[in-house]
Amino acid sequence: MKLLNKMMHLQDRHGAVTDTMLRELSLSERVPLQHLEGLRGFYPVFRSAPAQRRQVQVCRDIACLMHGGSNFCELLKAAFAGADAIDVEEVSCVGRCDTAPAVLVGEVPVSGSVTEIAQWATGKKPLPAHEPTASPRHWPTDPYADGKSRYGALRDHVASTDDRKHDALIQTLKDADLRGLGGAAFPTGMKWELTRKADGAPKYVICNADESEPGTFKDRVLLEELPHLLIEAMALAGWTIGATQGIVYLRHEYAKEQKALQREIDNARAIGALGKNIFGSATDFDIEIFVSPGGYILGEETALLEALEDKRGEPRNKPPFPTNHGLWGKPTLMNNVETFCAIPIILARGAGWWSTQGRRGYKGLKYMCVSGDVVSPGVYCVPWGTSVSELLDLCGGMADGKNLYAFSPGGASTNILPATKRDVALDFKALQDAGSSLGTGAMVFIAEGRDLLELAMSEVKFFRNESCGKCVPCRVGSHKAVELVESAMAGRPAANLVELLADLNSTLVQTSICGLGQVALAPVMSVINNFPDDIRPKLGADAVKESR
Amino acid sequence: MSATKLIKLTIDGHDVSVPEGTTIWDAARQAGIEIPVLCHSPRLRPVGVCRMCVVDIGQRVMAASCVRPCEDGMKVDASSPKVQRHRKVLTQLLLSDYPENSRREQTTGDDQLLALARRFGIDQIPFAEGASNGARGRDASSAVIDVDHQACILCDKCMRACNELQHNDVITRTGKGYGARIAFDLDAPMGSSTCVSCGECMAVCPTGALTNKLIVPVRANRRGSNR
Repeated sequence: MKLLNKMMHLQDRHGAVTDTMLRELSLSERVPLQHLEGLRGFYPVFRSAPAQRRQVQVCRDIACLMHGGSNFCELLKAAFAGADAIDVEEVSCVGRCDTAPAVLVGEVPVSGSVTEIAQWATGKKPLPAHEPTASPRHWPTDPYADGKSRYGALRDHVASTDDRKHDALIQTLKDADLRGLGGAAFPTGMKWELTRKADGAPKYVICNADESEPGTFKDRVLLEELPHLLIEAMALAGWTIGATQGIVYLRHEYAKEQKALQREIDNARAIGALGKNIFGSATDFDIEIFVSPGGYILGEETALLEALEDKRGEPRNKPPFPTNHGLWGKPTLMNNVETFCAIPIILARGAGWWSTQGRRGYKGLKYMCVSGDVVSPGVYCVPWGTSVSELLDLCGGMADGKNLYAFSPGGASTNILPATKRDVALDFKALQDAGSSLGTGAMVFIAEGRDLLELAMSEVKFFRNESCGKCVPCRVGSHKAVELVESAMAGRPAANLVELLADLNSTLVQTSICGLGQVALAPVMSVINNFPDDIRPKLGADAVKESR
Repeated sequence: MSATKLIKLTIDGHDVSVPEGTTIWDAARQAGIEIPVLCHSPRLRPVGVCRMCVVDIGQRVMAASCVRPCEDGMKVDASSPKVQRHRKVLTQLLLSDYPENSRREQTTGDDQLLALARRFGIDQIPFAEGASNGARGRDASSAVIDVDHQACILCDKCMRACNELQHNDVITRTGKGYGARIAFDLDAPMGSSTCVSCGECMAVCPTGALTNKLIVPVRANRRGSNR
């Protein structure tokens, strides 16, 4: 953290981390030059020479591609032609899919027509305020609707002198069947138990707030509007496993959310919910925010740990797992923002209450982030077991009266399903049975008339662009797959293309180090398999012949 | 001497017992089963990046045997057609970007990637070839070591040799994803970096990426064609 924080500070201050700065840093920190080059070359926030001009970053991923079109960035560049001092570049998903096409001017997210964006970027129009909302909505997972009794569950637990209370808390999480809501669905109670029992000190509590998968922005809303739930749950985690240090690993593009979280951390310290002797007890716990230097791969938990250790954020080989061998080799409990935020209400009202919040036999509440061709994209908190079409109704239905053609239920890594599966329940198992998964809960609705192959390939390209490059299958395989499909789309299909892609996909699934490589080709494989009549002709004659 | 726990497992049907903490790759080697690998050597800390040593242990995905410790009762399949098929695809992926001529093959004749290509009988590569545009470039600035980035498979061996065996701390990986490559110091040409020309990197390099510059012309040891 120390080194990367210093480098980010230099970048912020000077607009670059130059060779001269790294030479000085190498001497003062006693770190080899090669190590610093490895960091600067890996993380996208670092530039080796200052950008002379104002930065306009345009998201190129699925929701923004749908709303801005594949030439949105070109249109913006054309609008800026003649206005020097503006640099336009395409970037990966910035987590603002609900206001697609999303653009960052400097660090400020904006959304609007090409003309409006040009006015903001050239300073003709002042940039919109980038401050946390003054009036957070009331969300059904907040047990402190009155805003006064916050941190009640934490207060109760740290005051307890009953040693069994730690295990009781873990049992409650198990009874609630709470699972990791960052996409992996690992049972939360079990993770807390493993870390509690793990030998080693100190232990760490980490919140993974690095959501970056195209379509995913639910944690952004939770961080801005419910930061007290995150802080309370992390402190409870510290108390449960015996950790005093908490770290929130926050994605770089969430400046406003960082402000909201920092304000609440300061407030929690002021009222005794964080710091030494929490609420007068013997429990110490505090939280610091680490802002990621960028890149989707850092959301992979072991890549995140590498970044916190000032290394290139490349996933580790597992086992060992972070519960035993995490940050600095010590037991580390890592959960996603939404997972943490569900815990205070489960403790306040009980696992039984949580269980009754679902529908059709499913337990609990789930935050879905919806984007694509819908009337009202945004974050919705729905009962587990809500069907896909019910969620669509909540979002006001399909935009422009179009028909639903396909949907991607949980982010770029989840298989794209046809509209005929619209009655499936939002649940890990139900969606798995339907041939996809709930992933991060990032639902993208796709209307008839969309070029599904283009959309699926935008997701494959996202994974290709975000591959860390550590292992061969992901680094080379994702690139070659994009070349194969693009070549076919340009009318030059390879022989036996579909079979070739299937073999390549199998190798990526079976041999990649981490989840990124394992799912990199899933979007295109899913449209080939689920929409053969639409997709195979686009992949060329061989592909069609083969399918018959 | 403290008693080390023995782990019992089978590798390709053979019963093997090894001390706790032994990797599958080492256990196989002791049992006389050779698992192919490009990024590992017993002299180096294993990193599991080339994935050539993957084995089937009956789990959801395969395991890189150079980094996976043996577990009691494990049934390891190190040679099945499924395992070999993945190794072949990985080799094809690497070959698709490999230069026409490997300096290692042309000089010492021990290019390990080309040896794998022969072992798997690879005669065609179904992926677009990336070497012809020479995008990754060459660095001839060192008086001793020739650097061909196009032949680099990012196995990480030179980095471990330079930084962990010799403690010279010159080589890193820079960039990310498909564009990642090895670099010296702050991405300087090797000849103007702090490299002391110890030669450890080219000694461990499995491909034509880091090779000895010939001061006196030596007749090439020709063992078969390049592809």
